[in-house]
Amino acid sequence: MIHYLVLLLYIGAFVLWLRTLVDGRSTGGPPAAPPVAVAGVVAHAVALAAYVASWGELPLVGLGPSLSSLSFIIGLGLVASLAVGEAGRVGILLIPIMILLEGSGLIIGVEPAPASLDFRGAWFALHVTLAFAGIGGMALAAASGALYLAQHRELKSRRAGPVFQFLPPLATLGRMSRVGAVAGFTTLTLALALGWAWTVRFRHSFQGTDPKTIWSVFVWTVILATVLAQRTGRGPERRGAVFSIVGFLLIVASYLVVRVAERGGLFL
Amino acid sequence: MALAVVGISHHTAPVEVRERFAFGESEGMEIIRELRTATGVEEVVLLSTCNRTEVYLHPVEGEGVFRELEALLQRRAAPLPAPASEFLYRREGDSVPGHLFRVISGLDSLVVGEAEIQGQVQTAYQRSAEADLDPPLAGPVLNRLFQTAFSVGGRVRSETAIGDGAASVASVAVALARKIFGPLKGRRVLVLGAGETSRLVVEALGRSGVSDILVANRTYERAADLAQRLAGRAVELEEIGKALSDIDIVVASTSAPHALISRRTLVEAFPSGLNRPLLLMDIAVPRDVDPAVAKEAQVFLYNVDDLRKIVDETLDRRRDAMAQAETIIEASASEFRAWQSSLRIVPILRSIRARGEEIRAAELDRVLSRLAHLDEVERAAVEEFGRRLMNKLLHEPTVRLREGAANGRALQAIQAAEMLFGPPGTPLASEEEGAPAPGDAGPTPPGGVTEEETLEGGGE
Repeated sequence: MIHYLVLLLYIGAFVLWLRTLVDGRSTGGPPAAPPVAVAGVVAHAVALAAYVASWGELPLVGLGPSLSSLSFIIGLGLVASLAVGEAGRVGILLIPIMILLEGSGLIIGVEPAPASLDFRGAWFALHVTLAFAGIGGMALAAASGALYLAQHRELKSRRAGPVFQFLPPLATLGRMSRVGAVAGFTTLTLALALGWAWTVRFRHSFQGTDPKTIWSVFVWTVILATVLAQRTGRGPERRGAVFSIVGFLLIVASYLVVRVAERGGLFL
Repeated sequence: MALAVVGISHHTAPVEVRERFAFGESEGMEIIRELRTATGVEEVVLLSTCNRTEVYLHPVEGEGVFRELEALLQRRAAPLPAPASEFLYRREGDSVPGHLFRVISGLDSLVVGEAEIQGQVQTAYQRSAEADLDPPLAGPVLNRLFQTAFSVGGRVRSETAIGDGAASVASVAVALARKIFGPLKGRRVLVLGAGETSRLVVEALGRSGVSDILVANRTYERAADLAQRLAGRAVELEEIGKALSDIDIVVASTSAPHALISRRTLVEAFPSGLNRPLLLMDIAVPRDVDPAVAKEAQVFLYNVDDLRKIVDETLDRRRDAMAQAETIIEASASEFRAWQSSLRIVPILRSIRARGEEIRAAELDRVLSRLAHLDEVERAAVEEFGRRLMNKLLHEPTVRLREGAANGRALQAIQAAEMLFGPPGTPLASEEEGAPAPGDAGPTPPGGVTEEETLEGGGE
């Protein structure tokens, strides 16, 4: 039930942000969207805590709980960005991602997976949380990158319309995209290192052909490419923005391919 | 006892006349004192900005105050090309609150929605409020009027788009720079040309935190002069290519017949390519910056038409917000008028209450003289009984009369009060024989009745 409230709050925050964008207000009274978004993230924390209390495990196993947890971690990134004033308006793109993840989780069902895993406990929790943080960082980088390109386009076309008024400065968006990508790269690297260490220590083998392993390394490579693109060459912010968007879309697309392949038995 | 405002603004007078009416703090205070001495008007606030001078007055009865004020302003502003009355406008009574609310909200400003007026009105009010004069210049009516105006101004700015966007070339320049760089602290500016427009733009950027300013001009001395005024430094016009390599923002306004900044200039300034944003604001005609430089991804080039277009769009949006602002203003003006109307009933309520108190005190004396055996506690109980009875009887009529007056029916409320209780000064009739005559009602209760008590229904 709380998950539905979370979804409602996220949708409410998105509508409020959209309204601010349409109004084209650069100043004025306190915007209502950030408090609603924060309320949504708080409610989400309560919902996940209730899950732990009900099932006696972290919501990291099974597609439904995992999607909800990923949505929550992106929400934490949004709350952090809200502390940087205008930067919080990146929520207009992050919130739809969160709604999509949480909504999909609800459709699939936020309950534990029937199959049991041998990779559990603190190692597993840390591994998955760090991996989610990695993908969350990349989502933040992609959302900031997309807004960077939108603001860049507004400035180049010499318009000062609602989009120009609503979006944060280019410098802020570029910095957020860099922070997101670096945070994503760091946490995902740690997550992969933990997973590898656990496999070597407890299974005494490393399954390099496992689809999830291949996907994880692919994601790590994509984020690394984004981080490098943001730091090298001419116009690194703009190029980094393009890389972060393409990279995030590749991550999502490749994940869907892996899921379909797993169900179809292509890799198993 | 009406409110009034007499003033001059960009609507009624050209700048050469308005500047004659621009009074400084001390001269403004002299005018107020002189006006008070000549007319006896109690409450006065004088607002003087570059686009308007207005004198708010209360209370004003008859034409005498206006004639005196016009003559005073005529003397102070002389020489004028025509009599002051040809430039002055006047608002009286119910139209004054709406006028002030429009002024403070920027609806009456030359640049619709400009925010500076709010601070200027605040300063004008504070001068009167802090003046050590008796009675105070900002008395109960002007105090309430201006406090309401500050609240209305805040609401209009926060609830409508009247103050949104940038409405001058200088403020557009700052807004653009902020949308590219974020905070401008530490950003470096190159000014090409020593004209007035570029000075205004760079001053606005300076107020926003830009720290390092370079000025280049065909005449080096003029560049040095402007650089000194802007706390920057001058460079030779031939050195701009070299100087560009460290610059974030360029403001160009020379009268050069050809472009001073071309793609070649950028290549020279950034041999390994431009890998950070560069904002170029070209307000010169003919243009100082070759439009082809805008093809560079990191160059944001705006010419004078682009900047003007943004200003026009902003003003259009602000005009669209005016109807919404007018709704807030009208509602607040209506509330203020109701409050002012309710004041007209106050003397009558005070009189009714005072007479009720006289009767109560006289009756109490009479009763207590017959009940001499009562101890202190019992006497106090009888006294309390009388007070409570009077308060309860007067409470309902007081509240209803006050509400009637506040709802725009002041005249009817006054007539009703006079019909029920007689005009102020009439003694209230007592039902018992031997009711005291007005002169021998016993001592007046200590402290009398305050306006607050009267309005609140006597501490019910």
